[in-house]
Amino acid sequence: MFIIKYKNIFLMIGVGIMIVSLGLIFSLGLKPGIDFTGGSLMEVAYDNRPAKTLLEESLNELDLGVYSLREADDETGRDVFMLRTRALTDLERTSVEEVVLTSDSGGAVTRFTSIGPVIGNELQEKAKWAIGAVSLVIVIYIAIAFIGVRWPVGSSVYGAITVLSLAHDVMVPTALMAVMGYFYGVEVDVLFVMALLAVLGYSVNDTIVIFDRVRENIVKYRKEHKKTVNAPGGITREEVTYSFNKPFGEIVGISIKDTLLRSINTSLTTALALVALYYFGGDVTKNFALVLLAGVVAGAYSSIFFASPLLVWYAEWKEKRTAKSS
Amino acid sequence: MATETGGNMIVRLFYALLTLAISAAVAFFVYQNVFTPDTKYPFKLGLDLSGGSHLVYEADTSEINPEEVTELMNVLRVVIERRVNIFGVSEPIVQVESSSVVSDEQKERLVVELPGVTDVSQAVAEIGRTPLLEFKLIDEEALAEAIALESISIEGATITASEESADPYTDTGLTGRYLQSAQLQFAGQGGAGGLSNEPIVAITWNAEGAALFEEITANNTGKRLAIFLDGEEISSPRINERISGGQAVISGGFTPDEARDLVQNLNFGALPVPIELVSTQTIGATLGSEVLEKGMLAGAVGFALVMVFMLLWYRLPGLVAVVALLTYVAVMLALFQLIPVVLTAAGLAGFILTIGMAVDANVLVFERMKEELRDGKSSREAATIGFKRAWSAIRDGNVTSLLSAVILFWFGTSMVKGFALVFGIGVVVSMLSALLVTRTLLVALPDRKRDEGIIGRLYESGLGK
Repeated sequence: MFIIKYKNIFLMIGVGIMIVSLGLIFSLGLKPGIDFTGGSLMEVAYDNRPAKTLLEESLNELDLGVYSLREADDETGRDVFMLRTRALTDLERTSVEEVVLTSDSGGAVTRFTSIGPVIGNELQEKAKWAIGAVSLVIVIYIAIAFIGVRWPVGSSVYGAITVLSLAHDVMVPTALMAVMGYFYGVEVDVLFVMALLAVLGYSVNDTIVIFDRVRENIVKYRKEHKKTVNAPGGITREEVTYSFNKPFGEIVGISIKDTLLRSINTSLTTALALVALYYFGGDVTKNFALVLLAGVVAGAYSSIFFASPLLVWYAEWKEKRTAKSS
Repeated sequence: MATETGGNMIVRLFYALLTLAISAAVAFFVYQNVFTPDTKYPFKLGLDLSGGSHLVYEADTSEINPEEVTELMNVLRVVIERRVNIFGVSEPIVQVESSSVVSDEQKERLVVELPGVTDVSQAVAEIGRTPLLEFKLIDEEALAEAIALESISIEGATITASEESADPYTDTGLTGRYLQSAQLQFAGQGGAGGLSNEPIVAITWNAEGAALFEEITANNTGKRLAIFLDGEEISSPRINERISGGQAVISGGFTPDEARDLVQNLNFGALPVPIELVSTQTIGATLGSEVLEKGMLAGAVGFALVMVFMLLWYRLPGLVAVVALLTYVAVMLALFQLIPVVLTAAGLAGFILTIGMAVDANVLVFERMKEELRDGKSSREAATIGFKRAWSAIRDGNVTSLLSAVILFWFGTSMVKGFALVFGIGVVVSMLSALLVTRTLLVALPDRKRDEGIIGRLYESGLGK
């Protein structure tokens, strides 16, 4: 299998993707939306949209602090203004409405969201906890699911590698968000966190399927050596050791080949549904679909080109170390 | 051909037809609910799809004994619920939400959902209003007249203005301001009158109220005194005698629950806990329905794309997977109607995502099956082994997805919960659809080896011949 043969190259590509992603995330930064910072977002649809400068002039007279007024189209194709401000009280909202609903513009407030800073902070905390909890639960589950596997590498190694590739799968869509935020002002909202958590739960499947096959193939291609050892005290016990008919790398290679079509096809069907959601769905879920799409593609890639080579690399490294020490 | 007897084949066909029949029945159920007006099981749309307002209030519980917080929040909910009901909103939702374990201090919130209401100012004002507890004397004659008039005007007759103007209720000046406390008692318990064990409401007035009450009861013995809360008549006990000493008893054939509610209403005529509006969300109805329409279109397109791919790539088993996917969609929609799951934009997106994921288990099994077919096994045997071998991977994959759904649900604001619920149910239902529908249909198909005729080739996949 070429993936195993050139595993060092693929591992470097994987690490490269992660470094670039992290670089993008930290240099460009994520733009937190009002879900997390608190604030108000008002969407006003017009038959006859007034000039932006006109509204800004009147808005400046209100004590709103820093605000942003942006022209856009809404779902129904009407001209809208999106007004972002700090969290408004009910009274402030009424005075803002008076300003933006100028006469003979046929304007109506179609969407208004106001989130207090307390709720925003709390959501931020919750998001961190949720991502941490999902990762932790997945590691524990995989370590348990693969608990019978001891040789040539233990079950916790499978768990650790899965988490590393999950990190990869999360970094890619997050970097995409950072880029979109930098160039198009896209903000990180609750939907983004939901998409990330869904990516965590879904992408791990690809890795699990390959590792599941590795687990099966280890049993298939190994030879058992039983040896009766005379222990002190006249007791005899049986010692079982294993050796492979094929090198471990080849077994992992076979496992990838066995599951390759499955990995591609399941990711493809999910991607098809997400592409449909992106092109035909409402504006509110467009970025959600895009983040998920990036996560699903990254997940399929990482399970084949990163997790599997890493498993072989680790097993070989461990073998070399054991050989050296003995 | 297979080694099994013909009898087994009949059983298998029977199960296959049964599966198809059940799927069709579920689909019919969904179809009927969609096209029957006033159905018992309609789809429930979230505010972001139907339009409306979502308000979150935070309660200031700092002054309250922690042990009483739960009860007081419940009282608060009842009070706000009544105000919202007076407001005339159809199917409002008022619920208490405790902030989750992750935050440092427990915060109690009240979530108010008002479908169809886009004028938040009015709603906010209505909810934040201080309620009024009033006691009014009833003029029985005028009341009887008013009732009579009402029935006449229903019949369409004209009425004169002078008759109409007689108000059966006379203000007494006695309001909730003078109430010290109200208590739930049972007759016979505190020596108060009434049938034995009948729940009654005992009222204690403050000094000023006691004097006023004594005067009113002395002058109006025999009349009924109506108690109004927020302009709504909640009870109208008869004044049996002059009452002094600042105590009054309302007995009116209450059930214990009614009496307890009344006590709560009297005691907490004012809100039991101060509240503050911390989050508002309003979405116009047209915008919501547009999002819904687009979501449904996206779902249909996604569904069609996945079906076409499965048919082209996996041929005969692909057809089986398509049937399983149809069943999956029908069962999911039926569950949305039955449970009912509140559908939000995020929930809809989650559903579309699960349509793509639902064939996952099928693909796993089919790929396994193909390996067995290449080993020269017959299709039925290959299917059985395929299921057995693919099970551990299906299980592990679905468990992790399910765990993330559970954590998402727990993480949740209402929007996240909607998504998590759809996602979680989707994982479980898709697994069942693969294990039950796909499996049942697959083993009922003609049993062939891969090189046996046209049907045998239909078990092949992809770009193979």
